[in-house]
Amino acid sequence: MTGVAAPDEDVNRLITFEGVTKRYPDGTVALDDVSLECPTGQITVFVGTSGGGKTTALRTINRMVEPTGGRVLIDGQDVRERKPAELRRGIGYVIQHAGLFPHRTIEDNIATVPYLLRWNKKKARDTARQLMERVGLDAGMAKRYPFQLSGGQQQRVGVARALAADPPIMLMDEPFSAVDPVVRAELQDEFLRLQDELHKTIVFVTHDIDEAIKLGDRIAVFRTGGELVQVAAPEDLLAHPADDFVAGFVGQNRGIRSLSFADTAELSLRDDLVRPVTAAPADTAGLDWVLVVDEARHPLGWVRGPEVTGPLADAALAPVGGTFQVGADSVRGALDAAVLSPAGLAVGVDGGGAVVGVTGGAELLAVPTHGEHHRRPGKEHPVDTAGADSASAVRDGASD
Amino acid sequence: MDIDWGWIGDHTDTLTDHALIHLRLALLPVLFGLLISLPLGVLCRRWGWLYPPVLTASNILYAIPSLALFMVFIQYTGLEPATVMIPLTLYSLSVLVPNVVDGLASVSEPVRQAATAMGFGTLRRLLRVELPIAVPIVIAGVRVAAVSSISLVAIGQLVGQGGLGYDIIRGYQLQFQTQIIAASVLIIVLALVTDAVLVIVQRLLTPWARARGRAS
Amino acid sequence: MNDLWNQIDLSWSWLTASAQWHGEDGIPHRLVQHLYYSGVSLLFAALIGLALGLLVGHTGRGGFLAISVANIARAIPTFGLVLFVVVIEYSIVPVLIALVALAVPPILVNTYEGLRGVDPEAKDAARGMGMSEWGVLWRAEVPMALPLILLGLRTSAIQVVATATIAAYPGFGGLGRYIIDGLARNDYQLVVGGTVLVVALAVIVQLIFAALRRIVVSPGLLGTARSS
Repeated sequence: MTGVAAPDEDVNRLITFEGVTKRYPDGTVALDDVSLECPTGQITVFVGTSGGGKTTALRTINRMVEPTGGRVLIDGQDVRERKPAELRRGIGYVIQHAGLFPHRTIEDNIATVPYLLRWNKKKARDTARQLMERVGLDAGMAKRYPFQLSGGQQQRVGVARALAADPPIMLMDEPFSAVDPVVRAELQDEFLRLQDELHKTIVFVTHDIDEAIKLGDRIAVFRTGGELVQVAAPEDLLAHPADDFVAGFVGQNRGIRSLSFADTAELSLRDDLVRPVTAAPADTAGLDWVLVVDEARHPLGWVRGPEVTGPLADAALAPVGGTFQVGADSVRGALDAAVLSPAGLAVGVDGGGAVVGVTGGAELLAVPTHGEHHRRPGKEHPVDTAGADSASAVRDGASD
Repeated sequence: MDIDWGWIGDHTDTLTDHALIHLRLALLPVLFGLLISLPLGVLCRRWGWLYPPVLTASNILYAIPSLALFMVFIQYTGLEPATVMIPLTLYSLSVLVPNVVDGLASVSEPVRQAATAMGFGTLRRLLRVELPIAVPIVIAGVRVAAVSSISLVAIGQLVGQGGLGYDIIRGYQLQFQTQIIAASVLIIVLALVTDAVLVIVQRLLTPWARARGRAS
Repeated sequence: MNDLWNQIDLSWSWLTASAQWHGEDGIPHRLVQHLYYSGVSLLFAALIGLALGLLVGHTGRGGFLAISVANIARAIPTFGLVLFVVVIEYSIVPVLIALVALAVPPILVNTYEGLRGVDPEAKDAARGMGMSEWGVLWRAEVPMALPLILLGLRTSAIQVVATATIAAYPGFGGLGRYIIDGLARNDYQLVVGGTVLVVALAVIVQLIFAALRRIVVSPGLLGTARSS
């Protein structure tokens, strides 16, 4: 059972590329002297234009592609020292259309690697059932065949199959590209939730920069010709693209995107525009917009100060628009709430839905988008600061 | 084995005659088969319920030994070319009908809908869009049917209509190897030439397939 | 039409006559001969056709050559081959060789096409999960290609059963004996009786393959694979 680490085994699962080059006999260069590290327990996303070599790079890790120069190391050991089949049984592998075996039931698909590792049938199937639950598949599907499942469900089976022998490393090649946007978002969220529990070392290939930003702890940008242009945390990539190529690739609205990494706890919220529904009408006279709240401070709606003639309880209220949860949602979420609000102000609430305060306009944009508060709201990074530090030391910025 | 080249030299005329008769006996049935299977295949596509019984019938036909089928027809058509050609037509149907149906099925739904959206009527869409796209699969069937037919005609000699089959049986009766070899080799050559011609026809009919083949 | 019914009636009485069920020229003996020739030929054809088809289909190399050779093989006139080789050496072996030559192409072509039609992503996943090449072939490719492989075997089996009638012409018996004798004696009852037996055998072969398909092909494939 070499190649499969026990889940609690205290080892680094660090993937290192050292000057990896892949040149095909016809002269095409798929990878050009690529060096980077994919830190233990984190999601490293390879992103780039098609023909950029990102899939090739992924496939050198499990020897599906053999480099013509340089080497790939797992925990300091050259992958070429391991037999391909044995190496691959210890590395999870998920691909675009899942690549399920149409002739095997769902549970037998998931148990593929356990069978290869000669686990007994019961143990393999028990593991498969547990994993089905873990990836959100109904246990009743165990005896079905792939053609009876939707694309999203097939993709979940693909992920479960890759997890079956509990490999410390997972390679995922555009696993969510073939499903519709709604299902994709759902799969991405569950994938992040799963990673919070499992802390696998994951290499994830995508051509979708939004997906890269959403999922990646670190993003490696590849350019046509197999050149690695930049490796950085998502927020750094958005704030400091290494060159015009990366800037163009992350897109024109990278400013807005970078707000996703700004914490709403940093915002100064105004409480002076909030009035309980019991307040006297005269109290609102000098204000353009007032947010009316109930006894528990839950927002009821907006009203224009000068238009208030009677008790607030009788006033015609405009809808609240959007709210954001202070400290949990990002500034991008707050901006979204502000745009939806008739007053142009975002309503910040606490975990219980009670109004903390309102904010809008320039306030929202004054928050630092990176620096010490770059942890994304709602996404836990593994407490592996050593790994993260060594990763940032490897290669930040452009190669040219 | 001893080949009597002198005998072959002396008999080029008769061998050529037999080869031409052979070709006619073999290929006319394939042509008839194609003329029947095209509309039949179109109907099977249109009405799905028609296909399973047609497929079953052609499978059963295929299972009847050619010799036996010739025998059955001999009572109705006598020692005539039809005795060989009708069974061969039936055999070719069992290869061609499924291929026509598969060929038409290979037209993707978006293409079909695009044609309809651009204002093609049913018949025009069939002739201008669906049949051209089906050509490679249909011709693949025609190739199998033609080659098998050329090979099968020889057995027709047992009911008096065999083209080069005559020389095979005559050579056997006389224990004369040269005649059997000459006829057998000629049959293979006829089959190969026919096959090559069909490949060329397909290339001419589907220039897009050739371009794609080169690109990949 | 009356003629036809008459014939069927005659063939029926021929088939059911007790004389037909005993001795050297009886149906059981001829049937065993026929099954023996067909079975042996099919066995060798399957060994050759499957081995070549799996090799070419798995490696993806030499596909064009293999298919071309198989198509040329279809052109070999079985009848000519049988009689020619029998003239050289009077034995059943040439008949079997001719039947094998007839049966290899459908098996080879369908096996090759079946393997080529396997979803490349499934193959990629199989390798990526650590299957050896041998494992990829037997655990992934062959099970997925099985519907087409069986179709090829069935086509060959039916052709062999139908064509083995030729063995009777140079005098090796089998069910073709009745057809050849019937022709020689102008005895159509005999011809039709022999034909009915061969067709019945072919139908049984079809049924066996239909059952086999149900048993060995995964239900996961039958939902999508083309039915045939």
